[in-house]
Amino acid sequence: MPGLLEIHNLSKSFDTTKVINDFSMEVTEGTLCCLVGPNGAGKTTTMDLITGRIKPTSGKIVFANEDITAKHEHIIARSGIGRKFQVPAVLRDMTVRQNLEVAYSRQTNPFWNLFKFRVAGLKQKLDEIATLAGLTGRLNDRAGILSHGETQWLEIGMVLMQEPRLLLMDEPIAGMTEGEIEKTVRIFRDLRKTATLVVVEHDMGFVREIADEVVVMHMGSLLAQGTIQQIEGNARVREVYLGEQEAA
Amino acid sequence: MGNLYHNKTAQWLVYAAFFAGLAVIPMTVDDSFLLNQLATYGVYGMLALSISLCWGFGGILNLGQGIAFGLGAYGMAMTMQMQTQDESNPIPPFMLNNSLDHLPMLWQPFQNTYIGMILAVAAPTLFCAVFGGIMFRARVSGPFFAIMTLAMLSAFYTIIIDRQPYTGGVNGLTPPSSLQFAGFEVDPYSPTAYWVVFSFLLGATVLAKLITQSSFGLVTQAIRDDSERVRFLGYSVAGYETVIYTVSGLIAAVAGCCWVMLVQYVSPAQLDVGFSLSMVIWAAIGGRYSLLGSIIGAFIIQGAQSYLGDAFLATWLLILGGFFIVVVRFLPNGLASLVESGLGLFATKRGPASAEPNGDAKPIPAE
Repeated sequence: MPGLLEIHNLSKSFDTTKVINDFSMEVTEGTLCCLVGPNGAGKTTTMDLITGRIKPTSGKIVFANEDITAKHEHIIARSGIGRKFQVPAVLRDMTVRQNLEVAYSRQTNPFWNLFKFRVAGLKQKLDEIATLAGLTGRLNDRAGILSHGETQWLEIGMVLMQEPRLLLMDEPIAGMTEGEIEKTVRIFRDLRKTATLVVVEHDMGFVREIADEVVVMHMGSLLAQGTIQQIEGNARVREVYLGEQEAA
Repeated sequence: MGNLYHNKTAQWLVYAAFFAGLAVIPMTVDDSFLLNQLATYGVYGMLALSISLCWGFGGILNLGQGIAFGLGAYGMAMTMQMQTQDESNPIPPFMLNNSLDHLPMLWQPFQNTYIGMILAVAAPTLFCAVFGGIMFRARVSGPFFAIMTLAMLSAFYTIIIDRQPYTGGVNGLTPPSSLQFAGFEVDPYSPTAYWVVFSFLLGATVLAKLITQSSFGLVTQAIRDDSERVRFLGYSVAGYETVIYTVSGLIAAVAGCCWVMLVQYVSPAQLDVGFSLSMVIWAAIGGRYSLLGSIIGAFIIQGAQSYLGDAFLATWLLILGGFFIVVVRFLPNGLASLVESGLGLFATKRGPASAEPNGDAKPIPAE
């Protein structure tokens, strides 16, 4: 069975620096895949390449049997890939409610939207996501005044409003408290039932909790792929990544 | 709940009251010259409205709104000019003076009043769609887009002066008689002319207001906030920017047509950089996040210019400049933000989290 997301021999160079070097991976539908690796391994660049923010030098990205390599960001987003950024990117001048409303992007055509004043199904979805993200009491507040953890939640909520088939989460628990992380673990486990997730995370404890599969990147290439047990038992991974983390 | 300023019903009521006020004017003003002058303020109001829509809500600073305004005005002037020509005398006098012995292709469609008026609005709108489309697809934005509009404006200004046999050059066009439409003559000093401008201003305001309240308006405000983020939600940022820029151009083109109907005159001065900048100043002073605020900004500045400008002569520009600096420094969101914070004081607070933003904080989109 082909994966929902397949990356084939992806390479990206900035000038003469190879940031991604012949990287391939596959994400099976309905699983949660964690992408880990030391700083500069190319995790966020991979996300940028998948979502079309930057174009690969060579290689191919296939999503749901469709070649999405180097397509425009909004086309890729419409095909069903939602993304949460490493530095939480919310619309800071708008209210939490407006952020979630904008993210409910079922109708993206500007001309149609000129005549839309009420969006079907929005209210129910918004209530559901706001409850899930714990932002019900904050709906009328400006997103710019939220705490860091709440901002993370809002952006996760925005990605969920998009109802994507594949969710890319770049460091979703950075800046969260213990309690918030526990909640995130619960939600991610829930999400896995209906969607496919790729999570970039440094916190191995969190990865152990949620990952079905772990992909380790190093210097822009695939170092290892497997279950968390296999990865933690892999000598090479211990050497370049886990070892140095435990030493720190 | 909350600040009345952000209440949609309250906003519509204020808009209704404002237009009711404008509707009373022709019943109380007998002086036909004053009425004509007030009608031209309506044209400025439309221009400020178009800037507010594009800049305030779309985040696109357009320093070349004179292009749409000027092209609309020229189209209308050409239509009115051709109304005074007949078969025995088909060529406007200024062309004869420039030794043109036949009517240029460019002018021929304007022999028909309806086609001429449609072209006067459609041509600038199409220009905005094409120019905006090219720019926004290439992700030209912010100050770079502003500079491009400025350059384009100067290009049009130069072409019009340079092509004197076709455009009347520096002298512009002065159609000798007022607009004939569907068998009626629209006397620019009559209440009819005022009502025409009033209707277009009202129509444009309602249109703009509905746009800002639609899903489209929400997305454009999101783009203003963080265009990069919005792309990853699946929206074509270029598409939205092109549409709002084009709608704004359409309103300016209609304003250009109304202007010529009122003054029977158009010249390259309407495409002057200074005039396009003053449109931005009206919106900035009135409050670019508020459509109504921008319209009132245009009324205040142009009204003051008409009355105080004569008294102070050259000093007037200094006063205007000083006023602009004071507003930008102390009220970055214009006079409308005074109303917003004023009403904010009366708002019932629902807890510490919903405290009013202070003067320096960037407020949520005003409408």
